[in-house]
Amino acid sequence: MDARVKRRDQRDQHSLTTPKLAEHFFRHEYGRLVATLSRRVGVQYIEAVEDAVQSALMTALENWTIAGLPDNPSAWLFRVAHNHLMGELRQRTARRRILEQNAKEDIGPPENGPEIFLAGEVRDDLLRMLFVCCDEAIPVESQLVLALKTLCGFGIREIALRLFTSEANVYKRLGRALGRLRKHPTLHGDLTGDQYASRLPAVTKILYLLFTEGYLSSHAEMAIRRELCDEAIRLAAILAEHPVGQAPETFALLALMHLHAARIAARRDGSGGLLLLEEQNRELWDRQRIQVGLEWLAKSAQGDSFSRYHAEAGIAAEHCLAPSFQETRWDRVAECYSMLERIAPSAIHKLNRAVAVAEWQGPAAGLGVLEGFEPPTWLAGSYLWAAVLADLHRRCGKTQTAKRYRDVAFESAPTPAVKALLQRRLRTGSPG
Amino acid sequence: MPKQNYLCIQRSQPGKGGKPSPAQMEEMYAKFSAWKEKFRENIVDMGGKLKGGGKIVTSEGATDGPFVEAKEVIGGYMIVSAESMEQATEVARQSPGVWMPGSSVEIREISTP
Repeated sequence: MDARVKRRDQRDQHSLTTPKLAEHFFRHEYGRLVATLSRRVGVQYIEAVEDAVQSALMTALENWTIAGLPDNPSAWLFRVAHNHLMGELRQRTARRRILEQNAKEDIGPPENGPEIFLAGEVRDDLLRMLFVCCDEAIPVESQLVLALKTLCGFGIREIALRLFTSEANVYKRLGRALGRLRKHPTLHGDLTGDQYASRLPAVTKILYLLFTEGYLSSHAEMAIRRELCDEAIRLAAILAEHPVGQAPETFALLALMHLHAARIAARRDGSGGLLLLEEQNRELWDRQRIQVGLEWLAKSAQGDSFSRYHAEAGIAAEHCLAPSFQETRWDRVAECYSMLERIAPSAIHKLNRAVAVAEWQGPAAGLGVLEGFEPPTWLAGSYLWAAVLADLHRRCGKTQTAKRYRDVAFESAPTPAVKALLQRRLRTGSPG
Repeated sequence: MPKQNYLCIQRSQPGKGGKPSPAQMEEMYAKFSAWKEKFRENIVDMGGKLKGGGKIVTSEGATDGPFVEAKEVIGGYMIVSAESMEQATEVARQSPGVWMPGSSVEIREISTP
């Protein structure tokens, strides 16, 4: 029987089953509706838009659970949110009479749903909203919060949980972003082609941050970390489909996201403890996703530019392609790290290069990379620096120096999971 | 065992609980669906949410009410069938009507002649 007919039948029987909605339906509809409606009425009304969307979702929750799903839930939501928003803006007009003068052309008559939900337009709206969030006048950490709130549909408490910060801090960051959107008339209409082009690096950066927040997070719940990675991939895929986002950097970013996400499940053992790359069960890696990542990587190589995303995707690809830890092409990994060091200088990249060189040419060569290098204080005091030096010295037979670094590493381990990992690696790791 | 019908009256305290986030709504939708499925044999009439305002009618006439300033308002109703008050209580205890802070469900058996 046709699924829809079947659903109708069930609805007639007191609608005692509630049909399943797509995963993250409410959250993703929130993002879509906020993007679409704020394009229509202007980003300066974003708070009114968010209120209207919130109340439409609430109305949906109350109605659908009792009466069953409408035929087109997205169109239903759009209609309810749109009417709610128009009502609110009309009330404001009555009070202030601005709408009449400023926004007559922007706000058309309330339209009926389905035809506006052409997939292309929705994607464009989401993408546009992403570029709106990445205004250089908004600090990066506020851009991130704004994107999580408006595009991913996370609540304040959920954002705080995911970014390891307080709710008050999230409010503060969001307030800054909203203040900017309220004030800036250039944002009210559509962005210009130049604005799209000049904001692209900020957009890729925010998606990269969103991804790493999930991937590197030490949050205990895998589902929560996965969710941020999935959101980043979802938005990056939309970006890569659109002419404004079709650049080698975008493709490389998608490659690196897929190549990391493919291995995320293998990074933890059964009880949630962290696993080293060499301890991971490579059978658990998602081969299909690795393939997708490699395809994006190939696509990113067309053209002259080589970004940090290219270097990072290259490193991830080497790990994905290696049959085992020992058989990794460490020369290529080391080479990618030195390119990464040149493009995006950071002491952490040098440290990583030292690790790769040690696997490639031996621990002494690894130490050689760091010779005469003064680490910045944030790194010198971290467990990462101490752990790498403890490991390399131990493998070179310098037991005393190794012990000294090992103690520092244990002391500065930020979480019990990291500490357990260090104890395993630094006590029993295979000798040189 | 014969079943009796029970009227469930849901009450809530206005302004309590705040606005749920979309992710919380997803959770509520899923919980609601699971609850409905679990007690499908017991639910006679899903009833519905009651809008605010209304009239109070007596033989003398009609006045506006109930007032929204009231500490507790009736938010919805449903009818369930159950073998006993205990069973009806269990249906209500697991129902969405009691999820929000400050909300409660009153259960009254509908007497049959």
